[in-house]
Amino acid sequence: MDRTILDIQALKVGFSLGRERIWVLRGVSLPLLEGESLAVVGESGSGKSVLVKACMGLLEGNGWIESGKIWYNRKNLALLRREREWLPYRGAVMAMVMQDPMTSLNPVRTAGAQLMETLRLHQGLKGSAARDAAAALLADVGMADPAACLKRYPHELSGGMRQRVVIAIALACRPRILFCDEPTTALDVTVQAQILELLERMKAKYRLSLVYITHDLGVVARCAQRVAVMYAGQIVEMGLVREIFYDARHPYTWALLASLPQRGVRGQPLYSLAGAPPVMTDKVRGDPFAPRNPYALAIDYEREPPAFSISPTHWARTWLMDPRAPKVPSPALRQVRRLG
Amino acid sequence: MKPVSITPLLAFQDVSIDYGPFRAVDGVTLALRPGETLGLAGESGSGKSTLGRAALRLSPLAAGAIYMEGERISGPIPRDRARKLPGRLQMIFQDPMASLNERAKVEYIVTEGLMNGPRRLSARERRAVGLKALEAVGLDGAMMDRFPHEFSGGQRQRIGIARALVMDPACIIADEPVSALDVSARAQVLNLMAQLKRQRNMGYLFISHDLALMGYFCDRIAVLCRGRLVELAPAEALFTKPAHAYTRALLAAAPLPDPDAPRTAAPAWKPPKGNAPLRQIAPGHFVRMDGEG
Repeated sequence: MDRTILDIQALKVGFSLGRERIWVLRGVSLPLLEGESLAVVGESGSGKSVLVKACMGLLEGNGWIESGKIWYNRKNLALLRREREWLPYRGAVMAMVMQDPMTSLNPVRTAGAQLMETLRLHQGLKGSAARDAAAALLADVGMADPAACLKRYPHELSGGMRQRVVIAIALACRPRILFCDEPTTALDVTVQAQILELLERMKAKYRLSLVYITHDLGVVARCAQRVAVMYAGQIVEMGLVREIFYDARHPYTWALLASLPQRGVRGQPLYSLAGAPPVMTDKVRGDPFAPRNPYALAIDYEREPPAFSISPTHWARTWLMDPRAPKVPSPALRQVRRLG
Repeated sequence: MKPVSITPLLAFQDVSIDYGPFRAVDGVTLALRPGETLGLAGESGSGKSTLGRAALRLSPLAAGAIYMEGERISGPIPRDRARKLPGRLQMIFQDPMASLNERAKVEYIVTEGLMNGPRRLSARERRAVGLKALEAVGLDGAMMDRFPHEFSGGQRQRIGIARALVMDPACIIADEPVSALDVSARAQVLNLMAQLKRQRNMGYLFISHDLALMGYFCDRIAVLCRGRLVELAPAEALFTKPAHAYTRALLAAAPLPDPDAPRTAAPAWKPPKGNAPLRQIAPGHFVRMDGEG
């Protein structure tokens, strides 16, 4: 129990945009525990997708790992440079389910061909053995008629069925870690519920560690055991799911929770953060959240806050946690308007 | 249904729309009152977007008619009525990355509609109207000379709203206006839409798949399933007393942002065939009699 399977340490990732260098990850440390469901939440541009790409060696050409380590099985993946070095890890140890199944599947090949290709490359299965294994996987992910599905092209499948095929392909390599990048954003709510349930079932069956990348806090509350809140390339708060939803300490987490329409009272404006996330060039000084933070202190503009511990599982990067800071009552976050 | 004493802003009368042999919208009757936000809820394929597009004459009707302020706007209509329509009815689209012309400056995007408007405006007058609209959506006038790619998603959606506002419409059809946006940008755009509605007394036809969001934003909600209206109720009643099994399934499926929320299994339900009637079960609360109880 609680063994770390993937240990991300002080990971710093840069991107070059024209002449400028932008720090998309600024020293992210995140241990992923074996068998857990971890959610990484944040707005677009917070670096949550880049974190996953860095872990899988899939950074775009203009991105690089500046410093930090990604430990898996006593091997530092951050040092791998050549594609060949990644082969034993990518797919085999870590697999990924992306947002839009229409773009992650090849439109001109059948679901079966794509699934069997993975089985051939990763498990060396051929011919009828590969076909049987593919059908078994499709049955596993809840396809009603696996044999027929093998012959279908992606456009002949519904969005939910396509995402099931994508999950089957990810599982075909028997990975230990599954990254799900907005796995249900493109799907209807009823289908979303089925896919989330499927992921949980697959996690138990294949003893996966799951990482959900999402901005949907409903999905987080339903699926995650631990939550990391990201802002401007840094984890600003980390805790067990109930600690984040009921005892959040970072003003950014408060803002995320308070801006949900589910919590809104009809006729009253929703809480909204002014402004937009910053672009992290070398020029940014102090806490990058300070300009949008209604609780910002003078020191926020000077120095970035360290992580203050609240419990063994919960910490937050905000100067408000410093004993010298003024006491700010955290907004009443427990008031959730229940539906139905 | 009791006859409504006020003329509805936008009324759908027994509207059916076909895509080839497939009936996308099947006999929908629905009225939007002036100053009201009416939500159209349903999953993909329910016909909610098709219905919204039909009001803008973008999908031809197979049967029925659509009225705006008492005048028919579907099918063949007199030219002057067709010319007047964009000044009454506007649309906000889902994806602000796809709905703005990448090669045009904001000024052109926002004021293009005025060029064909009922009033002939000079370029200077158009710019003045555009500036006012940008101000109304909380953008700086200096942004008139920029290109869409220089803006964030939330800002681009504001530009899309400004483009609708320059026509001074009585009604806006908003098709998933915030589902492509981040939570904080989403709150900003929803607050803006609510504020504009109060200031101008516009009606919104708010199309979305997110029932929780609609519960916050809409006055009434119509639930569509496979092209048919299955339930229509004041927002509060739809959440507290959902009457149709499909509505209950939708409500149960949406994950709540609360880890302690009980996980209700979605009730098993199959879309019925046939043509059960709508019945009123409470004031303003209608349900189709094939999945009630």
